[in-house]
Amino acid sequence: MDKKLQVKGLTISFKTREGKVQAVRNIDFDLNRGETLAIVGESGSGKSVTSKAILGILAGNSIVENGEILYDGKDLLKISEDEFHKIRGDKIAMIFQDPMSSLNPIARIGKQLTEAMILKGKARQKESRTSFNTYLAKLREEMKTIIPQEEAVRKCHDFDKFEYKHLELESAYNRAHEAATEAIDDIDALCFELGKKGAKDVRYRVGRIRSLSMASVQEYVVKEDADALKATAASLPRLARAAGNNIDNEPLVVALRAIGEILKKAVALEQPNFFALGYYSVFSGQAIPALPVAELNKSMRSYLDDHFMLDFIENVTLALRKSAEKTADNMRRAVDLIGEVRPLFTAETLDKGKTYAALKTLGAAVSASIDPLAITKDSLSYTFESAFRSELDRYFSGFSGNVREQKRFDRQTAKQNRQRARGKEPSWTVVEPSLVDFDLVKSNLLAQLDRTAAHYREALDAADSRDFREEAVAVIDYLKDCASGVVLKVTKQMAKNKAIKLMEEVGISEPRKRFRQYPFEFSGGMRQRIVIAIALAANPDILICDEPTTALDVTIQSQILELINKLKKERRLSVIFITHDLGVVANMADRIAVMYAGKIVEYGTSEDIFYHSAHPYTWALLSSMPDLDSTDRLDAIPGSTPDMLYPPKGDAFAERNKYALKIDFERQPPMFRISDTHYAATWLLHPNAPKVEPPKAVTDRINRMKQKREAQNDGE
Amino acid sequence: MENNQEVLLRVEHLCQFFGSTKAVNDVSFDVKKGEVFGLVGESGCGKTTTGRSIIKLYDITSGNIYFKGIRIGAGLMSYRVAIREAKKSFKEKAKTADAASRSALKSERDRIIHEQKKQMKAAKYDRKHCDKEYAEQQVALVKGKYLPLISAARGEKQRTLRSEYRNELRKAKKARLVTKIQMIFQDPSASLDPRLTVREIISEGLIIQGEKNKELINQKVDEMLETVGLVREHAGRYQHEFSGGQRQRIGIARSVIMQPELIIADEPVSALDVSIQAQVINLLNDLREHLGLTVLFIAHDLSVVKYFSDRIGVMYFGEMVELASSDELFLNPLHPYTRSLLSAIPLPDPEYEKKRKRITYNPLAEHDYSVDKPTMREIKPEHFVKCNQAEYEKYLAQLK
Repeated sequence: MDKKLQVKGLTISFKTREGKVQAVRNIDFDLNRGETLAIVGESGSGKSVTSKAILGILAGNSIVENGEILYDGKDLLKISEDEFHKIRGDKIAMIFQDPMSSLNPIARIGKQLTEAMILKGKARQKESRTSFNTYLAKLREEMKTIIPQEEAVRKCHDFDKFEYKHLELESAYNRAHEAATEAIDDIDALCFELGKKGAKDVRYRVGRIRSLSMASVQEYVVKEDADALKATAASLPRLARAAGNNIDNEPLVVALRAIGEILKKAVALEQPNFFALGYYSVFSGQAIPALPVAELNKSMRSYLDDHFMLDFIENVTLALRKSAEKTADNMRRAVDLIGEVRPLFTAETLDKGKTYAALKTLGAAVSASIDPLAITKDSLSYTFESAFRSELDRYFSGFSGNVREQKRFDRQTAKQNRQRARGKEPSWTVVEPSLVDFDLVKSNLLAQLDRTAAHYREALDAADSRDFREEAVAVIDYLKDCASGVVLKVTKQMAKNKAIKLMEEVGISEPRKRFRQYPFEFSGGMRQRIVIAIALAANPDILICDEPTTALDVTIQSQILELINKLKKERRLSVIFITHDLGVVANMADRIAVMYAGKIVEYGTSEDIFYHSAHPYTWALLSSMPDLDSTDRLDAIPGSTPDMLYPPKGDAFAERNKYALKIDFERQPPMFRISDTHYAATWLLHPNAPKVEPPKAVTDRINRMKQKREAQNDGE
Repeated sequence: MENNQEVLLRVEHLCQFFGSTKAVNDVSFDVKKGEVFGLVGESGCGKTTTGRSIIKLYDITSGNIYFKGIRIGAGLMSYRVAIREAKKSFKEKAKTADAASRSALKSERDRIIHEQKKQMKAAKYDRKHCDKEYAEQQVALVKGKYLPLISAARGEKQRTLRSEYRNELRKAKKARLVTKIQMIFQDPSASLDPRLTVREIISEGLIIQGEKNKELINQKVDEMLETVGLVREHAGRYQHEFSGGQRQRIGIARSVIMQPELIIADEPVSALDVSIQAQVINLLNDLREHLGLTVLFIAHDLSVVKYFSDRIGVMYFGEMVELASSDELFLNPLHPYTRSLLSAIPLPDPEYEKKRKRITYNPLAEHDYSVDKPTMREIKPEHFVKCNQAEYEKYLAQLK
């Protein structure tokens, strides 16, 4: 599993007049690609704060006290706002709890939906162009060392040139092909409704089908039947007028079906190899021969291979190998250097001058060990210097800071004691001094050094088994992707079409009319759908859903959950799903983290949490929600969440916990391991703790569910 | 559920149109005394509009609403339609008829129009004066209680009785039948005035009713706070000092202090955390037991509705499609929309959930109403489904 996002030791507090409110207290989790992680907890448990930290939109009075959030090799807590612009919305999107506050009240829905698409489209074009150009430039530099300079330059230039021709051809094909598929869908839907005599907007829809089928006439899509298609399509508006109010729509249906047949045939045709076609049409100087697609592909492919591709791949392979060898040397050097400076960090107290000097040389060595031609970035090397430096800074700031904190603590304790001596119970508590633990920081530093060295050794060991030819093909695919990003221009019309499609997809009826309305004209559920559509518009990697369905009713909720699930599967999207309702996440979540008072109290796969939950808080959550079979009085959780200005000394849930032990009020429980995937922080799991059974409501439900499942299986 | 229970609220052919939008279209149901009647459906299907029409926040377009046997709401559209129809049919028939039958037809038409106009007048009168009649009743009650006492008493006692009588009489004159129906709203923070203390919020209704005795009001408020699980000290605070669940408790206290007989709870727990939801549902259940309240429970969370309600009506696009006792509805859902609704309920069971298939409901594909229009039919005792003859037979076969 590749980890998409890692959160380590995250601690966030908010500065208020009364003191520091500790919203998130030392949480760790990671998110794999294509997985859903559900974070469940009551309001005020810090789940929203965590998600906002990931997106870099914490409130101004927040302090990130500790921890890191790694995404794509970058620590999101440390990168600049400019870098964040590339990630926020585009790579990590968020659906907020309250739709009204995330929509602009004075802009039309259509504008808000398309705005980001158009802007991001432009940005993507620009970014793809830069990454294409920079990578090609790097490749050229590397190739120059292998083959004569002019040849390297010429080859890269040629590649650049025909790659653009390829995309021109392909995008023309794609436009026609897409129009055809869309027309087929529309025709099917319309024919169905006409058959039932319940079609609406017939004339508009027929017009759209007409223009779509006209657009699908292209050399490799609808070619032979083009005339027949055009003739039938031209007659459509007349037929639609004649059909009027669904009275006599037989001729219209016949015409539509005829068009549908032609398009279906066209869509099923084989797709030509435009990559090879592009090369042929640029460099052969001849027109593309009119052959059947299969033969055409074969001849074009062999032409491309003979004249350019095989040779080019060979060169790229060599360049990659060379660059990898260079990097390997640097890695060896870095490993040696780490070995040299390591003793500096094992000393009793670190030497400020020496350690910073070591960091400087080390940083240079590590950044030299990044292969310029690697497509996926080596995250560890990229973050090495900044992460190491911040840890070092923390260490040295501790010398003065610890004294100051200790003084404050002593002063306040003395004041309290004085009050107590006068017989008055002070109404305030003293915040524990936040001291830098020197040993912990030192061990962190050493761990990072060791981790980096081990990582390099691993890479060096694996170097022999690398297949550079395969990598060369991957490089060419990468360049192709970049190039297609450049030609993919998002026009207003395209954005509008896509927006209307998205609106339909999230279940908004009459999207064309809705497109021109303002947010206040929508009901709560509809607004939330708009917000989801906006979030999905950018095709993000990670989708953070902050209570997206809380305000929606069951059908819509399950539609939206299905939608998110579908997108997750199609795009290998990673989802962080934040909710207070455990019932919702059963079909969504792969893993669940239960949060309470800023801490993760239980963590496991959804089976672990629903069938074998171990934390009393999870039990309480499970037993407080009614299901279809519950008739007994619900077990509500008494009281409310603790005041995080003065977090309780022991387990935060102890106050409301009927299973609380004495130790729960005194010491915070550590994470106990139940299985490889399942962890819980409760003293009940301690070997010496008394045996406690989960509440009856929970066990009963599990049994009931089991019976139901068996009945379901029998039924199949 | 016994059939002979007293009907507290009867809704007959309720229609509520906003311009061309038919928010509620021909909905009929009864709510019996002491039961919880659940209304479910997706957002925008007219559940809230139904609730608001009952409490007379809207003037209904057509239909009748009876509360405790008194017509409190009446729409006129049905009568107007009847008159129009009569005129139209007369015109058509008159074309072919001879003079004698013509005059007969004419008198028939006039009779219908006269009758409908009379009914219209009665409806208008009821709509406007239902409270007046109720107030007169109350006044008569108070008079009957105090006047003999006063004439029998002498001296100081008579004076106190007199002032008490005046107080009660003032309240009785102001009495409104509709105040016996109270509403609890979805969003507690939006439905409570942020500038009033809790005491002011809760006592507002009493003061409007004409209660002037401060001590009595305070005592009632304190009692009510304890009933809903808050403490007396909370009375002096403002709503923003409370958590969501506590705010909803204040909202409940505000409506229960009016001693209502029917509470319309419009999504009272949708905006709350699951753990708090349980607290509020438990509270509503307790109140219902202790005070014998009748509740019209509007919600979209089917698990909660199932848990809380005795009978459930399912609404779709302004129409009631199925109505049955809650166990029956979940055991034998017949209407395809109900089935799709039930199939959408998430259960806290990952393995079951992974296999769950949501049924989608497409009215065009499911029904063929081009010839035979659907009506509400009783498939089983107390189980109604909107269907036409063909579907009726199909459903009957399904039940066997």
